[in-house]
Amino acid sequence: MADLVKITVDGREIEVPAGELVIKAAQDNGTYIPRFCWHPRMKEVGMCRMCLVEIETPRGTILTTSCTTSAAAGMVVHTASETAKKAQEGILEFLLINHPLDCPVCDKGGECPLQDQTVAYGPGESRFVEEKRHFEKPIPISDLVFLDRERCILCARCTRFADEIAGDPLIEFKERGNYTQVQTFPDLPFSSYFSGNTVQICPVGALTASAYRFKARPWDLRVVESSCSHCSVGCRIAVESSQNDVLRFNGVDNDATNRGWLSDKCRFGFEFIGSENRLRTPLIKVDGEFQEATWGDALDLVAERLGAIITEHGGEAVGGIGGARGTNEDAYAFGKFMRGVVGSNHLDAQLDDGLDARFLAGVSPRAEIGDLDRAGAILLWAPDLKEESGSLYLRVRHAAQDRGTRLVVAHPRRTGLDDRATHKLTYRPGEGPALLADLVAGEGDYAAVLETLSEGPVVAIVGRTGLTEQPELAEAVAAFALSLPDAKVLPFARRSNTFGALDMGVAPTLLPGRATTDDAEATAQLEAVWGPIPTHEGRGTHGILQGLADGDLKGLVLLGADPMRDVPDGTLARQGIESADFVVAIDLFLTDSSEMADVVLPAEAFSEKEGTVTNLEGRVQKVNRVVTGPGQSQADWTILDDIARRLGKPLAFASAEAISKEIADVAPAYVGISWELLDWDEKDGAVVPYGAAIQPLIYHPAALGKKALQAMSQKPSSGALALHLARTLYDDGVLMRNSLSLHALAPGGAVYLHPEDAGRIGVSEGALVEVKTVDAALRLPTVLDPSLATGVAFVPFNQPWTPSLGAALSVVVAARKEVRA
Amino acid sequence: MSHPQVLTARMTEHPTDSHTLERYEVTGGYAHARRAMDMSRDEIVELVKASGLLGRGGAAFSAGLKWSFLAPSRPSYLVVNGDESEPGTFKDRQLLERDPHQMIEGIIIASVANEVHEAFIYIRGEYPKPARRVQQAVEEAYAAGYLGKGVFGSDYDLDVTVHLGGGAYICGEETALINSLEGKRGEPRIKPPYFPAAKGLYMMPTIVNNVETISNLPHILEMGSDDYRALGHADDCGTFLFSVSGHVTDPGNYELPHGITWRELIFDVAGGIRDDRALKAWIPGGASAPWFVPEHHLDLEITKEACGKAGSMLGSGAVVVMDETTCVVKAAERVVRFFAHESCGQCTPCREGTTWLEMILRRIEDGSGRPIDAELLLDVSDNISPGLTWPPKQTTICPLGPSAVSPITSVARFFKDELMQHIEQGGCPLG
Amino acid sequence: MTWPPDVQERAKELIGRYPDPKSAVMPLLYLAMRQDGYLTEAGMREVAGWTGHSPAQVQSVATFYGMFKTEPLGKYLVSVCTSISCMLLGGDAVLSAVEDETGVPHGETDAEGLFSVEHVECLGACGGAPAVQVNYELVEGSTPDQVRALCRWLTGERPDAVNTDDMQDRFGGRRSFDWAITETDGAIGPFPAFGPYGTVGEADG
Repeated sequence: MADLVKITVDGREIEVPAGELVIKAAQDNGTYIPRFCWHPRMKEVGMCRMCLVEIETPRGTILTTSCTTSAAAGMVVHTASETAKKAQEGILEFLLINHPLDCPVCDKGGECPLQDQTVAYGPGESRFVEEKRHFEKPIPISDLVFLDRERCILCARCTRFADEIAGDPLIEFKERGNYTQVQTFPDLPFSSYFSGNTVQICPVGALTASAYRFKARPWDLRVVESSCSHCSVGCRIAVESSQNDVLRFNGVDNDATNRGWLSDKCRFGFEFIGSENRLRTPLIKVDGEFQEATWGDALDLVAERLGAIITEHGGEAVGGIGGARGTNEDAYAFGKFMRGVVGSNHLDAQLDDGLDARFLAGVSPRAEIGDLDRAGAILLWAPDLKEESGSLYLRVRHAAQDRGTRLVVAHPRRTGLDDRATHKLTYRPGEGPALLADLVAGEGDYAAVLETLSEGPVVAIVGRTGLTEQPELAEAVAAFALSLPDAKVLPFARRSNTFGALDMGVAPTLLPGRATTDDAEATAQLEAVWGPIPTHEGRGTHGILQGLADGDLKGLVLLGADPMRDVPDGTLARQGIESADFVVAIDLFLTDSSEMADVVLPAEAFSEKEGTVTNLEGRVQKVNRVVTGPGQSQADWTILDDIARRLGKPLAFASAEAISKEIADVAPAYVGISWELLDWDEKDGAVVPYGAAIQPLIYHPAALGKKALQAMSQKPSSGALALHLARTLYDDGVLMRNSLSLHALAPGGAVYLHPEDAGRIGVSEGALVEVKTVDAALRLPTVLDPSLATGVAFVPFNQPWTPSLGAALSVVVAARKEVRA
Repeated sequence: MSHPQVLTARMTEHPTDSHTLERYEVTGGYAHARRAMDMSRDEIVELVKASGLLGRGGAAFSAGLKWSFLAPSRPSYLVVNGDESEPGTFKDRQLLERDPHQMIEGIIIASVANEVHEAFIYIRGEYPKPARRVQQAVEEAYAAGYLGKGVFGSDYDLDVTVHLGGGAYICGEETALINSLEGKRGEPRIKPPYFPAAKGLYMMPTIVNNVETISNLPHILEMGSDDYRALGHADDCGTFLFSVSGHVTDPGNYELPHGITWRELIFDVAGGIRDDRALKAWIPGGASAPWFVPEHHLDLEITKEACGKAGSMLGSGAVVVMDETTCVVKAAERVVRFFAHESCGQCTPCREGTTWLEMILRRIEDGSGRPIDAELLLDVSDNISPGLTWPPKQTTICPLGPSAVSPITSVARFFKDELMQHIEQGGCPLG
Repeated sequence: MTWPPDVQERAKELIGRYPDPKSAVMPLLYLAMRQDGYLTEAGMREVAGWTGHSPAQVQSVATFYGMFKTEPLGKYLVSVCTSISCMLLGGDAVLSAVEDETGVPHGETDAEGLFSVEHVECLGACGGAPAVQVNYELVEGSTPDQVRALCRWLTGERPDAVNTDDMQDRFGGRRSFDWAITETDGAIGPFPAFGPYGTVGEADG
């Protein structure tokens, strides 16, 4: 706790932390000092000079910027003295002399700090009669952002953000003096994953978003706070709508998760909500074609067909995949439906692309994101966070760059955090376990790495670096990490409510509330409310699809899941879905998977329903309803309840909130969690187990010895490369596919090779090559990537127009032979 | 009248080779740096403090005191400021071209005093010839073992690198220079916290000294602080290089002690006004300085204190003399334009204000001035330099903004009539 | 990297003189100008590769300074000072004479690529005002007639390297101080002639 000092601001004595910036100290105590360049989440620069105040010193009263002055005991500050006011008016007059009279056509009007502060602190009129400076306007500086240099007041918020926060110095000042302007380098646009933040923090309308330009005026917007649904951090966002259309997401400042920043996927990934392609009515497949149906008919058919399978083959002939894209309430309903109504333990929220559910739900001690700021060292052995979770990437960057935290990154390829890493360990996919063995032994070069990690507290962010990587590796890494001083683990899985769904028991080995299926007490507690449930471990997604393909399973319920695109083994997904006797898909869109279903039921999406979600810290946050769903779409839990009712065992939920109450009764780790708590008391969400709640499952990842690790290590077959299969921020996932501005930015299918390997194969940049695995053969263009280890091919996962390669480690890349006529 | 020459002695007596190592050594050079190697850091700092040496780049801050502020973390750096760009100033150019070893010996002394093992000489890009001379001298010193590994056979290493600027006056400001040396835009830093002695080059303790300041060091070591002080006048110790230009008969650099009068400087030393014209005004200390006029200032002593009391400054010692043929509005516009061109652009009042002032003055010069413009000029100036006081206050990050105000307050104070005539007559009354 | 080996050697050497490679950006920008005659986009990208800046950062630094010019330049950059001391002694007329003689308005380059003309701020030659530079080599004490002669000489002779002493003797007047010695080296393009940057050439005659 910092020391407090007393200072006087405009005659009022206040107590503030010693060394706090005067502008912040004043603001926190009710005195707003006007400003443009200062932003609480960035380093102060004192450039705009708007925050000039008078401060009494022993040498006399000085006029100085309050954003560069630190509070000291006895300081006397005058923010509105004659001199201060004249200075503030002068600054505004200076800012306005070259500022164009664009307000009527400028997006920022109505939420513009320049407008607001001119009215409050500015002169009544400008005395400038000369010619203003002119620039071509606006110019696109990327696919998503436009720049108007005439409006720009050169506060450098955008350039400082791009460099200091995002690590993407793609926009900078050019020229000097009165000719200064923000610019990109020719042919190198501002394609930062975080460019949208500059639009939000720009204090004028110089930076505007193509997704929002001219769509609305701020006073038309309805604003509701919620939690983003594009990754498992669950950043706080403001969902803004007008006339029942979601028009914009903005970041909301908070200390717990995203500190106000958003990746562009999160910020601009709202278009899918209002997309034309949203399902509006139930669909029944008749003779291979979908026909619109009533809810009654569709639900009847589902109950009939599922019921028949259950009667003939038993409940365990039905599998359920999905639930990671909805709310906890929806996921809980799914679990209750599958176990309590259908009678099956074969359910999984992950798509064979994550880690052991018990590990994700129960690893302990689990870190909070804030622990990154307090860490002595961070071990990052996970997907490239810049691609999979922009906010977490920014938090790690901040810790490593600004707080001096040492960072060790292990990954097959370059990551966005390499430039901040104390040590970067590059390895071939498959050989991660061997690397871990070397690291644990700490010999040679690894001694220094071990030493870096010996400075606690240690936070280890652990996940699967790619989809061909052994999931057991992450657990072994976590076990190693937990042996380090004062260590905590942050397990990483990307999909937005994976952790919430697992906590609700949507996994073959878990019951709601972080209990395992073999926990007798938890089972009994659950059965008291659900009735009898199967008690053995069930099949996960891989097993369900295999079961369907083999004929052991007959029916499939898809809850917001697209196995055809998201399960790495695309062949298995197809076989499974095709072989099923009956498939019902509850979804927002017709996806590659729901296209193959027998019945498709239209669901409500994010911001069309209220509920809770749980992030990777175990933080439960509220998501809120802002608009109504299209057509006849329904909430997941309502749909499941309607089917359950027809199967003779209603789920008996009166409302989504009622579900959350049942969860708090029945799920041990969730005792004490309520909507009321989250709306009123815990504005930053509540980390479970909250208060006195107990988490039955404490999962200890097994520490593997050298032999075991070496046995786990894999090499590709002779003549093949090791396939690194990893996600990019923008891809062909269903939500991106239907957010058109972002879908266009997906990099597309390609194979990335080390220049040596490319040379050996005999191909250069851009050449089309044959890429063969046991599952597929594709033709892809080559990209040279010296950041890879040799012997590796990187193919971005789930790209537009690119079929699945499967998940096998070995991939053969060969130059195309020209076919001569 | 003759005045003792110290900095310019060698180049005057030995014009053909004052820049060579051979001549430098024969005339006693490098002996003082050798002696400094055996002195303690504190001894050297105290000596320089006692000598009263003030910075010769314009700020006139005690060099020894600056050195004593050096923070303890290491490595520390020395940067010699050869970015001489203040209009009217050309004395460092002469020192660099004609006696570079004098500066290099000073660098060795300053480095030892500040535990520096890497020093940089930042020379403005428009001075390639001086840079070539300095580079040649640096190479001679390396070859002789006076720079590089084991200076003078000791175990003290000192590397010196000559770095060319890129054409930006603002890089003469010490924190902007440091940013420039770090590979960034030459933008001044906010102080506090970025005082170079604490957080300078690469955020390490750094001493930035002007070429002339450094060149004084061998002489201070040689003659001791008392004799050095005595060379000067009262608190203005040592000699001072004045660059005199404009409408004088004999423009040039003159090494003089303080204490003489402006009358002596302009009419004796610099030969008076050419073509026997009348003196109208002069800038006493570089383009940033408010003007002096014959009616008030001719018999003022040239000392830091007297100048300050009279509302101006000696700065870098650049004296620009204007005769009766000078249109003061044009002269003011030309000076203001300089600052508008050189503004780094970081802070609002300077970036917008200096250009605005230039535009108003140009409009007045072109004949489209309005009566309200006289007041407007002063109020815009007031928003850059509140109160139009001397020493100036600033709403800006660095003093460049207030510098642009100097010609305006000068014209308003001493030539208001001429300004108003421009406005009322729609053009220059001088034709 | 696209620079020839000897330039790459020089780049490495220059980078080696600074504790941080980023500090070498200004010297390397001069190397880039030497290669292409002005600072091209390719030049800036090359420099970025060496220093670790992003290209946008190199562009930002380069365009801050007046001497890194990103538009094609003529063989001879004629810079005329129009700051206060030179203005007082007729610098404006010298500028007009240059513009007239070369046919190039200030701020521009001729179609042939022979002359670029600019007016600049104080060159530190106030004692020899008005002052002019050709490829940053100084001529003090200029007059409209003399500078016209200088331009005609450059047009006719087209020397590969311009030497300051030679030009001063032929086309200069009063000097700020005694230059005292004579050099034989010269500037070979519109960038400062400085040994470590490889920009110095032998001047003929």
